[in-house]
Amino acid sequence: MPIAAPTEVRPDLEQDAQTDSSADLESGYLVVCWDDPVNLMQYVTHVFQTVFGWERKKAEKHMLEVHEQGRSVLKRESLEKAEFYVHQLQKYTLQATMERDSK
Amino acid sequence: MKRIRSGPQRVQFEISQDEKNLLAHLLRLYPLVPANHQRLSQGRQIPDREENQQLLEDSLNAQRQENRKHVEAMLNEQGRFVECPAGSRVSFSRSEIEWLLQVCNDVRVGSWLALGSPAQHPEILPGVDPQTAQHIVIMEVAAFFEMQLLSAASSGRQSGHA
Repeated sequence: MPIAAPTEVRPDLEQDAQTDSSADLESGYLVVCWDDPVNLMQYVTHVFQTVFGWERKKAEKHMLEVHEQGRSVLKRESLEKAEFYVHQLQKYTLQATMERDSK
Repeated sequence: MKRIRSGPQRVQFEISQDEKNLLAHLLRLYPLVPANHQRLSQGRQIPDREENQQLLEDSLNAQRQENRKHVEAMLNEQGRFVECPAGSRVSFSRSEIEWLLQVCNDVRVGSWLALGSPAQHPEILPGVDPQTAQHIVIMEVAAFFEMQLLSAASSGRQSGHA
């Protein structure tokens, strides 16, 4: 994931308590975003904010997880909702997939 | 291209003639990412996987057609670009900024795919020839416009606009 020069991203590495809320853990499918060397970091953050309605801090946390760890689990959802979110992310040309949660 | 005004509904930019030509060229390249590029899942644990994959591709194709219509309408709209001493002034609604971002990024990713999806930054690829150079330039031009649009979108969020 490349960093464009005029960056406005100011990473905040504080743990976001909302990320692993019980609501996120209820359902059985994971929405996963994968790293690639083409999507801009600011763009990925924007897409997360737009698709999930997240605040910037949470979107940046997941963007950095994608960038540094190769992937980030964005949501745990029902099959239908997971499909919906994957479709939304792919409309923005992010590399997103869904997978069955093995937990 | 620089943002000169951000309102709750629209964002206004000043754009030079060269930038306007580049933007039009970029938008006309859309779409570049093949319809079957995206996969719903990487494993086989998804029910009705093939059927759902087909639904995904249909959905993405429909969205591309819609964006393509937006592009054509924008490029052919009389009065969209208003001449000014620095070039032109153009305003985009916040929903237009979203599909413009999708279009620019599709062209950027499609150019990257055409380069063979290099793991390293394309600017430092060995053996650059005129054709690969063209893809690299398109990627950089797309990134330039994306950053302007992202800045505008961010300004809307910071001032409380959805």
